[in-house]
Amino acid sequence: MSGRLLAVARALAFVLLALVLCGAIFEASGFSSVLMFQSIAEGAFESPDALMNSLRWALPLFLTAAGVVISFRCGYFNVGAQGQFYLGAIGTTFVVTWLNGAPALLVVPLALAAGIAAGMVWAAWPGLLRIRSGTDEVITTLMANFIAGLVLIWVTSGPLKDPSGTGQVSASRPVALAYRISDSSGVSPAILGIVLICAVLVWLLVNRTAFGVLSSLAGRNPVMITWQGASLPRLGLAGFLLSGAFAGLAGAVEILGPNGRLVSGFEPTHGFTAILIALVAGLSVSGVVAVALFFGGLAAASLYLPVIAGLPAAAIDVINASIALFITARAIPLPDWLRRFARPAGAP
Amino acid sequence: MNDLIAAILRSGTPLIYVAMAGVLAQRAGIWHLGLEGLMITGACAAVLIAAQTGSLLAGIGVAIVACVLGSALLWLVIEKLRANPIIAGLGLTGLGLGGTDLAVQAVYGSEASVNSEVALPRLGAAFGPYSELSVLVAAMPVVVLALWVLLRRTRFGLRLAACGEHPFAARSVGVVPSRMRLVALSLGGVLCALGGTELALGSLQLFSVYMTAGRGFMAFAAVIFGAGHPIGAAFAALFFSLVEALGIKAQLTFGEAMPRDLLLTMPYIATVFGVWISGRLRGGAQAARGFGELRDY
Repeated sequence: MSGRLLAVARALAFVLLALVLCGAIFEASGFSSVLMFQSIAEGAFESPDALMNSLRWALPLFLTAAGVVISFRCGYFNVGAQGQFYLGAIGTTFVVTWLNGAPALLVVPLALAAGIAAGMVWAAWPGLLRIRSGTDEVITTLMANFIAGLVLIWVTSGPLKDPSGTGQVSASRPVALAYRISDSSGVSPAILGIVLICAVLVWLLVNRTAFGVLSSLAGRNPVMITWQGASLPRLGLAGFLLSGAFAGLAGAVEILGPNGRLVSGFEPTHGFTAILIALVAGLSVSGVVAVALFFGGLAAASLYLPVIAGLPAAAIDVINASIALFITARAIPLPDWLRRFARPAGAP
Repeated sequence: MNDLIAAILRSGTPLIYVAMAGVLAQRAGIWHLGLEGLMITGACAAVLIAAQTGSLLAGIGVAIVACVLGSALLWLVIEKLRANPIIAGLGLTGLGLGGTDLAVQAVYGSEASVNSEVALPRLGAAFGPYSELSVLVAAMPVVVLALWVLLRRTRFGLRLAACGEHPFAARSVGVVPSRMRLVALSLGGVLCALGGTELALGSLQLFSVYMTAGRGFMAFAAVIFGAGHPIGAAFAALFFSLVEALGIKAQLTFGEAMPRDLLLTMPYIATVFGVWISGRLRGGAQAARGFGELRDY
C-alpha cells in the first residue's frame, strides 16, 4: 500500500514540476502565469457548469485511455489512439448517414458497433505489422494518425460532405436528433452508462482475468510468459485490437453524443491526452478514472481560455506536453553526497 | 525531370537535416521522437527572429540556441530523471508544437502564420533549374558526408557508437555515456535548427502553426529505414520526398479525378512501408518492449 502511495506522490511531484516548467514558458512568451493558471482553474473546476463541462470531456477521454492502458500493459506502445478515435467517428457517421430514417433502436447500436469496428481495423494493421514483421509500432501508429487525419478531411469534404455547409471547416450532416445519445452538453444517462459499463469491464479484464495477468506479465517479462506457454503475439494483437475498440467507441460516442456531426480536424489532441492519462494513472484502471477527470478539466479549459479569458488555447497543449515530458521519470537527481545513501539504480 | 529533382531536394533537405540529428541520437542509444518538436521550434525561432530583426543570422542563431536548449532538456529528463525516452520525446514534440503556437500568438495575436521578408540565400542563376534552392540544400551532401566521417572515422564517433550499443563497455574505458549523449543530442539540436530554418525560410519564407505536419516523425522513420547510417537515412528521406513529389505531380496531372487529401497520405504510407521493409530485412521482431517499468500499481 505504501508503495502505491509513494507512486501517487511521485506522479504528483512530477506533474507539479511540469507545471513549474509551464509557468516559466508562459512567462517567457509574455503571458502572466498566475493569470493563466487561474483562468484554467476557472474554466475547469470552479463552477458547477465548468465541472459538468469537464465531465463531458472526461468521459470520451476515459474510454480512449482505458484502451491505451490495455495496450501499454501488454508492452506494446500503441500511440495511435488519435487515428483510431477518428476512424471510429468516421465509421459511426457512415452508418448513421446510410441508415438515416431507420428506427433508432437499430441504428444506434449499429453505429456504436461500426465505430468500434473501425477503430479496431485502424489498430489491427499496425498490430499485425508489429507482430508478424517486427515493424516498430511507434512509427506505424504515428503515421496511422496522420493518415487518419487526412482521411477525415477527405470524408468530410467528399463522401459525407454536408452540401448545405458553409464556412471554412468541412463537416458532415448533423446526426438526426433521434439517434443522438446526448445533447451538446455531453453528459447523459446513456453516455454515463456506456462509460460505467466499460470501466467495470476493463477493470475486470485487467485485474480478474487470465488475459489481464498474462498481458501485464508480457509487458514486464516477455520471456517468462513465453516459457509459461502463453502466445505473446496473440496477447499483443488482442491488446492492439482492444485499444482500437475503445478509441473507436470514444469516437462513436463523440459523434452520437456531444459533437452531433463529423467535423474535419476535430479534437486533434484527444489521443495524446488519453495516452497521458494512462501514464499519469500508472496504467491502473481506477487511477484512469481520477486522472481522466483532471485532464477533462484541462480540455474544458482549452475551450474556455480563448473565449472568456482571451488567452491562447495552446497553453493547454503546453501543459499536457510538459506533463508528458516528466511523467515517466523514475529518479530524482540527487547530489553525489546524498546519492551514496540511496539504493543503487539498476541501469548502468 | 529537373523540376522533379528540384522538388525532391526542396522537400527532402529539411527532412535530411533532421534525420541526421536522429542518426546522432540513434548512435548514442536514444530513440529521438522529439525531432518533430525541435524542428518546429527551429522553424518558428528562425522566422520570428528574422521577421522582427530583419537579420537572417540572428534568426538562425536563436533557432540553434532554442533547439540546443530543447535537446538539453530532453537529455536531462531521459538521463538524469530516467524517463522513458519515447514518451519524453513525444512530450518534447508536444512542447515544441504548443510552445510555438503560444509564441506566435504572443507576438502576432491570433494569426496562424508569420511571413518573413528575409530568406536563406538562393543558389542563383548559375545553377539553372536549381537556382531557386537555398544554400542549405547545397550544403546538405557535405553535412551528410561530414557526419559519416564523424561517426565512422573519428574517435568520438566510435565512442558514441559504443555508448549506444554497449554502455558498459564504454564506461569501462572511461567514456561517460551520459555525457556523450548530451553532446550527440546538442549537435542534433543544431541540425534540427538548420532543418527547421530550411523548411521555413528555404522556399516558403513563412512560419505557420503545425507546419512540420509530421516531418520530424518521418525523419525519425528515415533513421530506422536507413539503419541508423547517415547516408542510408539521407536516401530514405529522399525516398519519402520522392513519393511526396510524385503525389503532388499526380495531383497536377489528374486534377479532380484523384482526391487531393488521399494523395497527401502517400508520404506517410511510404514511411510505414519503409519501416516495414527495414523490420523485415533485419528481422527486427524483438518481443514486446517491456514497458513494465511504466507500471506502478
